[in-house]
Amino acid sequence: MRSTPFTERHARVDWPLLVALCGLTLLGALFIASATLVNEGEGGALWRHAWFRQVVNYGVGLIAGALICAVPYHVLSRWSMVAYWAMILLLGLVLLVGTVRFGARRWISLGPFPFQPSEFTKIAFILALAHYLSRPPDELRRPWVLLQALGMTVLPFVLILREPDLGSALVFLPVGTAMMFVAGVPTAFLRRLLGGIGVVIALLLVDILFAPPRWQVRLEPYQRKRLMVYFGKDFAPANANETERQRARQEQRDHSYNVEQALISVGSGGLTGKGWRHGTQNALGYLPRAVAHNDFIFAVIAEESGFVGSVLVLTLYTVVLFCGLRTAGQARDRLGKLVAVGVVTLWFSHVFINIGMNIRLMPVTGIPLPLLSYGGSSVVCSLIAAGLLENVYLYRRLY
Amino acid sequence: MLIVDQLRKDDPRLRLLALAVLLGMSLLLTGLWYVQVVSTRRYQASLQNQTFRTVRIPAIRGKILDRNGLVLAENRPNYSLDLYIEELRPEFEAAFTRARAGRRLSRATRTQLQAATRYAVVSNAVQRVARLLGKPMDLTEREFRRHHDQWPYRPLPLLENLDAQEIARFLEQPRSTPGIDIESQPVRFYPAGTAVAHLLGYLTRDDQVRDDEEGGFNYSLPSFQGALGIEYAFDKELAGKPGIKSVVVDSLSYREAETVWLTARAGQNVVLTLDLPIQLAAARALRSLGASVRGAVVVLDALDGDVLALVSSPAYDPNQFVSPIGSEAWAKLNDPKLQPMLNRATQGAYPPGSVFKLVDALACLDCGALTPASITNLFHSRGYYQLGRRAIADTAPAGDYDFRRALARSCNTYFIYYGLRAGRDRLLTWAHRCGLGERIGLSTRQETAGYVPLPEDVKGIWNEGNVANLCIGQEIAVTPLQVAIMTGAIANGGVLFWPRLVDRVDPPEPGLDDQATRHFPPQARGLLGAAPLYLHLVRQAMLADTEDPENGTAFKAFHARDRVTPLLKDFRVGAKTGTAQVKDVHGRLREEITWLASFGPYETPRYVVVVMVEGGGSGGGTCAPVAREVYQAIEQRLAPRAGTRPQLARDN
Repeated sequence: MRSTPFTERHARVDWPLLVALCGLTLLGALFIASATLVNEGEGGALWRHAWFRQVVNYGVGLIAGALICAVPYHVLSRWSMVAYWAMILLLGLVLLVGTVRFGARRWISLGPFPFQPSEFTKIAFILALAHYLSRPPDELRRPWVLLQALGMTVLPFVLILREPDLGSALVFLPVGTAMMFVAGVPTAFLRRLLGGIGVVIALLLVDILFAPPRWQVRLEPYQRKRLMVYFGKDFAPANANETERQRARQEQRDHSYNVEQALISVGSGGLTGKGWRHGTQNALGYLPRAVAHNDFIFAVIAEESGFVGSVLVLTLYTVVLFCGLRTAGQARDRLGKLVAVGVVTLWFSHVFINIGMNIRLMPVTGIPLPLLSYGGSSVVCSLIAAGLLENVYLYRRLY
Repeated sequence: MLIVDQLRKDDPRLRLLALAVLLGMSLLLTGLWYVQVVSTRRYQASLQNQTFRTVRIPAIRGKILDRNGLVLAENRPNYSLDLYIEELRPEFEAAFTRARAGRRLSRATRTQLQAATRYAVVSNAVQRVARLLGKPMDLTEREFRRHHDQWPYRPLPLLENLDAQEIARFLEQPRSTPGIDIESQPVRFYPAGTAVAHLLGYLTRDDQVRDDEEGGFNYSLPSFQGALGIEYAFDKELAGKPGIKSVVVDSLSYREAETVWLTARAGQNVVLTLDLPIQLAAARALRSLGASVRGAVVVLDALDGDVLALVSSPAYDPNQFVSPIGSEAWAKLNDPKLQPMLNRATQGAYPPGSVFKLVDALACLDCGALTPASITNLFHSRGYYQLGRRAIADTAPAGDYDFRRALARSCNTYFIYYGLRAGRDRLLTWAHRCGLGERIGLSTRQETAGYVPLPEDVKGIWNEGNVANLCIGQEIAVTPLQVAIMTGAIANGGVLFWPRLVDRVDPPEPGLDDQATRHFPPQARGLLGAAPLYLHLVRQAMLADTEDPENGTAFKAFHARDRVTPLLKDFRVGAKTGTAQVKDVHGRLREEITWLASFGPYETPRYVVVVMVEGGGSGGGTCAPVAREVYQAIEQRLAPRAGTRPQLARDN
């Protein structure tokens, strides 16, 4: 019954999406090369260079994305629950045997390739939730169904929060909410859900920022400090003496350092930037070299290519996002629509949080910028997610 | 929008989501626009602030030359060994990795260990070089830390004033020492040392921002500022315009690159009226009286007021101010009795003693107390002057004196008698006319006006005794330079000149520079107002001082032992000696100031030589030989014979 999509007359490939993705990979490779120039120098073996490894990541990601397209998404979704629980298992495993880097247990070592389950969990989660929510709309009015959907969202959220990786964990909330919203979950429930999330976040913030130490929720110290930096709160307790106050001030400077320097990088880029490989913030180490090519790659791009470059990056992302939204609108069933919505929200959350953090719109969280940040898991997952969009697009007219 | 319109119309929730995404992206766009376009200047300023350190490069200081272009002050390279901290960074990291040995460290211990290993690396490097040079070198941890914490981008000086052997040893080492290199800095050098010290002044270290400089700087390469003398008075011309270079520093403040923004503009050369050989001769002559003789010599060109030599003793060595001065050396420089920093020629005021009799003579001749006819009249001296109940002693023996003999013999009685007839007011007015007690307006921070009161100042205060004292040069104080100017006016026929120290200021490279040479022509200050005949009479009497074997107090100094042969071949010199008493507060004699004011050649007066020695024996015995040596040097300059070519500054 099912004819192959390749015989259809309408477009098989979502060209704008593909062009935007290629543009982003190109930018990514270029600016990772620029960001790591000082550390790695020019010449030498290709494998030594981060930009080359990133290109390999792109290759792997594209292949994975293409493979995903080969199997229609509704076939994939049948296995989504299995994938979801497998990933939950892996997340549990990470907490037990994961590799610690930069004070967080986020990676599992597979030979020479570190692997970050939280990234792949996002894909599995989108598929699984879409699968779960694509049941008849009437069923979505049942509280039990809704609670289960909520549970599916909160479980990975909590596990990833324990790693700890606040940024990645937080992404599950908008993705889950958006999918439930588009799936047609009653507004009243959503309102209560959002209200509840809002109240919890507000309470947490008040607790973290203002409550006396004994009453505070146990949070990683650096997370608390990042929030304090974002809200511009003095590190020193009210009853601190002069030396304590001075130490607190020093600490505050240290912790606001990355944000300050990212802001200086972005701001000093001006309209047209300083030119590729001519950024000084990264070369002179003001923008810490450990983060310049991953979490703060946008600062490098913005410094070297200016507002023009920033607009280009935003435009490319907007094209990806709206291709995704269009695909959601054209999808032949609710499953496809929800998958597309999930992917779009995932990308959007990453882009908004990461770029927002560079211009002090958001607090600092270690969340990668899709395709631009250096990192295998992130790149492969972003491209798999894009592959899912393409998948929904390909099979949009198959009845 | 094309894409949004394609969304299914019947799905408001999807459209709402699309709207939310669009809103989010616009928010980012607005934020970026604000940061990158609206407030970009602010961030660029922060970037500049943290990435650039500006360094002042002082300009090469101009030279000070004598009237014939001989060097009085110049710059010499001073080689120092500098440590460039940033070049040792790989070693710092290696040492730290070794020391850590894979341990996990808390942040504080990590910082501590890093600092300790850093110092160990630097210390090892320094010791390697110390062994190589065979010279102990010491860099304490505190010094290094202080430097590293404050200015890691700046080279750390390890050893200054390297000699040629040390430079050779360092440069010929088999493999270079990373991070340590030889650097050269121009340092002021005064080839004549103590001989020209006072007039030139000295430099002090000054790394402060000056008002006329553009912007600020983070630090200055060693800069110097004139503190005294010509170095002070012409500091602006000599100093030139400093340049600015900017050092790019990384996040740890280590140096990454350097660019010169503004090249320094070399200072101008100051050409003095001084004649170095004469100056050296004068210094040598004065010093022949003793190493710590307190005195001054001034040699003036009577025809235009040019200062040919200006010596003060004891003198400091201006070269010693270039590097920090130890406390022992400071104590020596501030010795209350010797006062080496004092320029006695312009800054010391002394009672002129019998030299003032020249003023007496002019005043008496001018008012008619003495006339050309009456000066040959004999005046009988009893060997002292009786003023009321007070007898004023006279060094000249009792006897009959005419004007010539009285001046040559320096007869007090004669001059008190006639001086009192001329009166207090005329004497003081004439003293001022001769420039005594008047400011000269030197810009060298080395001037005193001395003390000669105006007639109205002492009206009703001075009694006849005071005026009698004035006649023999007590009660007032004058500087040797003032005496020289007065003597010059008597010698040249009555023109009082401003003393001229600086002939011109030359641009550093004439022709290449748009700056023009600035000349300071001689300036007459006024006329003495004495009839030429009177001046001639005074000069004649002064000639007797050196040529009259019976009476001349300076005769002995100007003649060989046979009392016939003059020691000067071509010059006949007119002179007036003086010995003034300086009393302490109890009226006890503290010491005597001895003087000689002279000019030569007698027939066509040109040169004025004034010698003053504190605590000397007598004007004729102490000062006259010094003056004679100076005249001998002038003779040599005027007629260089074979083998006695003018001396060069470097030969000193």
